Amino acid sequence: MDADTMAGGMTYGSGAARVSVAIVDDHPVVLEGVRSWLSADPRLEVVATGDNVEAVRSAARADVILLDLRLHGRMAVDEVSELSAAGQRVVVYSEHHEPNTILAVLDAGAVAFLAKHEGRDHCVETVLAAAADRPYVPPSLAGAMVGDRRSSRPALSEKEREALLLWFQSMSKASVAKRMQISEHTVKQYVDRARIKYARAGRPAATKSALLARAIEDGLIRPEEIGTYRSYASPDRPLP
Amino acid sequence: MSAERLLRAGTAVVATADRGGRIAAVGIAFGWHFAVNVPGIASGWTDYRVPWASAAGWVLFTVVGVLATARLFYGFAVPVIPLLTVLLIVDVLVIAVTPDGHMFDTPNWAWGTIGWFALLLLYDRGMVALVTVLALNALFGLVGVVAASTEAQGAADLSRFVMYIYGTGVLPIALMAAMGVLRDTAEKAAATEAARAALESERLGAVHAQRERQDRLGIVSEAAGALLHDLATGRADPADLDVQRACALAAGRLRRLIAESDDVPDPLLHELRACVDVAERQGVPVDLIAVGELPTLDVAIRRRLAEPLAATLATARHWARVTVVAQPDEVVVSLTTPATAGPASESYSWPMDGVVDYWYERDEELVWTQTRWRAA
Repeated sequence: MDADTMAGGMTYGSGAARVSVAIVDDHPVVLEGVRSWLSADPRLEVVATGDNVEAVRSAARADVILLDLRLHGRMAVDEVSELSAAGQRVVVYSEHHEPNTILAVLDAGAVAFLAKHEGRDHCVETVLAAAADRPYVPPSLAGAMVGDRRSSRPALSEKEREALLLWFQSMSKASVAKRMQISEHTVKQYVDRARIKYARAGRPAATKSALLARAIEDGLIRPEEIGTYRSYASPDRPLP
Repeated sequence: MSAERLLRAGTAVVATADRGGRIAAVGIAFGWHFAVNVPGIASGWTDYRVPWASAAGWVLFTVVGVLATARLFYGFAVPVIPLLTVLLIVDVLVIAVTPDGHMFDTPNWAWGTIGWFALLLLYDRGMVALVTVLALNALFGLVGVVAASTEAQGAADLSRFVMYIYGTGVLPIALMAAMGVLRDTAEKAAATEAARAALESERLGAVHAQRERQDRLGIVSEAAGALLHDLATGRADPADLDVQRACALAAGRLRRLIAESDDVPDPLLHELRACVDVAERQGVPVDLIAVGELPTLDVAIRRRLAEPLAATLATARHWARVTVVAQPDEVVVSLTTPATAGPASESYSWPMDGVVDYWYERDEELVWTQTRWRAA
């Protein structure tokens, strides 16, 4: 992680507040596995687990909810919408990583999508990025974006698309940078910009306001690119 | 000639035959109208009850005939039912003004001509409509004959009526029936010939594909045979990593070659799965992830997309990730796997006929290959 400042001014690291995470999965083995992944990282704290959304909703409000998309035999896209609309940062993870599913989840307001096979490192990175309202694009998400043919898809630049394509192929960021003859920082910018464009094109959600505000702070996009910056960044004003 | 071109040629033959029928119908109708009806009207001019009514009827027939001809040759939209009604009204009018004793003569011209003009309007609309018009024509004529007939001539007039109706009705019906048969025959012949040509094309394609596969199989088998020979004679050590790599490569190529001829929805993915399967049998877990819908690709392009990947996959040891990104005009296939033996830093790329480009890159951590097809 190269950024350690969280939204709301919290910091993490030794002695600082940790990111609280709730995990929802209807398979006890997976639940335990993901809990152990996250608990092993000192920056994270698992505060609630359960096999449905209600089980973790009643627990202390977590910074991030890690939600298995398929719960008890049905896709929990509606729950993603509800939680996102209520201002929760939802990271969806699933073994169903077809591009249409991933894009539907993003449309429903999820901060990120993680394929179950993507493993611990991507999982931790995604949760930390979500908590800090930073965009993070695991390879499965990059694949869904680069293969998106819907008429409503955001317009990605050629460089952003190329960076997503190479990142989907799971090269290291250094390899992507070498291939594109740019710096790793620029690679990250291209991939993050693409995610922000998707966030802007998605449904209104409080977390997206924060995401956008943070993106502007980081210089990823300029205020004039989105028109009235202040109203978008305001936490009590949903995105149009 | 391809099946498609044959089908087009067949359609052209059908259209030509049909056009001939239309020309014949127009020629007969107007030939009759000018060569027979005009002298008929002229000869009966002094006898008609209202001569101008007959002349006006002739003009109306001409107008209807011109409109029907425009429809037949230029697709001009005309109101068929109203124009048929005009023809039948003129028919009744001419019967009404024709003097007694001339019902079967040329002054009663509309009675014998209406069938041809109705044919122009109903050329491609089926036999039932034409027969209906001719039946109405016969009915009007019968009324006229009965009204004008004297008691002495009654039986003879009815006999002549039947002959007249038969003589004037059968020819338009015969022409319409003949053209229908000609159209059907030409269409069937064209379809049969196209199907035959399609079969022949498929057969030639299959022969060509089989010959090509045999050639490739020969090359691959030769390499695999040499390898097996070396293993059998002890010249190659199964524990040698290079030998293992050569075996994996030969197996991958054979599997892909077999998969290439399978009839499956996404042949490229099918062929890649065959390569992946070989690697997995070597104990290498492989992720094969595809996004987008694959366009139809020639076997030659599929080979160029998959072949370099198959070669690199043979070197994979711990894990490998194969990705396919498909767009209607672009397909990108990539393989990423941990770097094994070889130069620490190696990178090259070249376009393959400008259709499928190939990149290879190796650093301390990863080997990466990518093939990329773009529609011309």
